[in-house]
Amino acid sequence: MARTTRSKASASTAATSETKSTPSNTKSRYTLPTESTNPPKLFILPTSATKDAKIVSLLNPRYTKPTRYLVCPETGIYEFTRIAAPKATPRSWLIECGNTGKVEEKTSEDGAELGAYITKGADLYVATLIDPLFLILPAFAAQSANTKDEKRMFISSDDHLDSIREKSPHLSEILRWGNIRTLLESRMAAICDTAEAGDETMFRFNEDKLLTEVLSKAQKMSEQSLPKSMEEKFVTKALEAPVVGMKRENTTTLSISQTEAQVQSETPASTSTVSTPKPESVESQSSALSTGTAPSLVSEVSTAATSVVEESITTTTTAAELTPSLGASPEITTLQRLRTAFNFICSCYIAPSQVTRLQTKLKEQKPPPIDFTPLDNYLEEISKLRQELAAARSVGDYSRKRVLDEEELADRAEKKRRKEEEEKRKKAGESKGVRDLKKVNTVGMKKMSDFFKKK
Amino acid sequence: MSHPIFSVDSQENIQQKARINLLPCRIHHDGNVNPVETYWSPNGSEDQTKTAYLRGRKLQGKVVKLPEGYYGSVVEKSAPKKPEPSQEEMVEDLEIIEDAEDQLQVGEMQGKATFDEFIVWNHETLANSSEDPYLRGMEEWISFAGQIHSYPPVKASNK
Repeated sequence: MARTTRSKASASTAATSETKSTPSNTKSRYTLPTESTNPPKLFILPTSATKDAKIVSLLNPRYTKPTRYLVCPETGIYEFTRIAAPKATPRSWLIECGNTGKVEEKTSEDGAELGAYITKGADLYVATLIDPLFLILPAFAAQSANTKDEKRMFISSDDHLDSIREKSPHLSEILRWGNIRTLLESRMAAICDTAEAGDETMFRFNEDKLLTEVLSKAQKMSEQSLPKSMEEKFVTKALEAPVVGMKRENTTTLSISQTEAQVQSETPASTSTVSTPKPESVESQSSALSTGTAPSLVSEVSTAATSVVEESITTTTTAAELTPSLGASPEITTLQRLRTAFNFICSCYIAPSQVTRLQTKLKEQKPPPIDFTPLDNYLEEISKLRQELAAARSVGDYSRKRVLDEEELADRAEKKRRKEEEEKRKKAGESKGVRDLKKVNTVGMKKMSDFFKKK
Repeated sequence: MSHPIFSVDSQENIQQKARINLLPCRIHHDGNVNPVETYWSPNGSEDQTKTAYLRGRKLQGKVVKLPEGYYGSVVEKSAPKKPEPSQEEMVEDLEIIEDAEDQLQVGEMQGKATFDEFIVWNHETLANSSEDPYLRGMEEWISFAGQIHSYPPVKASNK
């Protein structure tokens, strides 16, 4: 009996405490509505896409995994680019709906449903047209890898596409839509030799055609200047000549390594992201890697698109005559732009294995479709200058010191940070007494263990 | 992993207009934050800059217009639904479910609101178009992508 009353009492107190606690929670005048598990996303879509346009998954030509594309049966295929702030800069969307706009009356009812919204992530997806050519490229990847030109056969577009049908979830579906099939076939014809067999067109992959196609794209891109940030980073900066002010006689060994088309591949997320929006994903830098006082043969690693000849230059120069600024002529600037554009396309839309073949093709083709020699000569000269400068600076103790690149620096900073953190944690774990004792000067004191020895 | 197809509401079907703000802070919350007026009341001037105060911090906003030929859409993903014919298979067992992955799932990206500009807010300074990825995306990427991906219209290329 007593038990039950007690339990009742406790129940009632619990109830009162509950009721008490609720108002205290809402003391801040605004309660936060429950989080939605399905936050709204922001898209920027082309107005040209019709309402039949759908978001599907197709094989990404570069990363060879399914990626989201917007396919409109009428106007073509659009790729999504995710624009997001780097992790270091926090950003969030605040979406206010309804209080401006064309249909003012509607706001009262809809406003309740969707008034102001916060989303934690600040992603913005931009849909831009993509050349279907790139989407069908993976279909030829296997062929171009293992067969010589003679072995390639004329086969129908369907047979070509069959090879990627498995990996490209919705390919067969979109082929049924509107004129997507004709679109794909027409773009296929741009990179294939075609032959009419009956009423069907047969295709045979032709790498030369692909190269011409990519080059003409690059040319189109480089006609005007590239986007500002890209132009600055890859054209202006790359062609900038260092200022030489010191006279020094030196024997240097050069090794230029052009790690172009280095993709900081931010793995495309499972949603509709494609590549990073940052045009910097094409890293083109010519950096002098090794300096030494003894002439030695250094072979040059070059993944660059061009015939940067394998060469190791042993120079005994007097840097005095060299003028500080070595201006780039418009011709060279255009070439550099062209190369940047070419590498950009390669690094974004073409599988690495195909890129290598394209680049060797570009080198070997006779006559060369584009002569990069002036640019190469110029770049060589610049790197020579830089090299000399670096050598002049680092004579003596520093001559052997490696120049750290950014990655290494970041690595080092990270390590340092971690170490500091650990130390901090260790310190936090110590008691005050131990910490204070540390400050005591124990020099000349007996050891603690001395007191406990047998006498 | 299944890949549903999503349909997208086109611009005409969406009644609402939205004002989009890109805040220079991360708010760890997804969802509704009504009423917003009490802590967010940007005062704009006619030129492209605005000022607002968020929790006592002064923010400066730069209006970014979307380029011609594009519109912004706030969408909400609705769960993908299986089309009718797959229902019979659902009655059966697990093995079929693997099969069902091949089935076409159609979801919907419900357009909630459209926008044709957004505001990039920054502390103290205005967003700089050479640094801010959003500005660059709007000003540079869209036109640049157009240059990369332009191809001759279908009929013309059929030589």
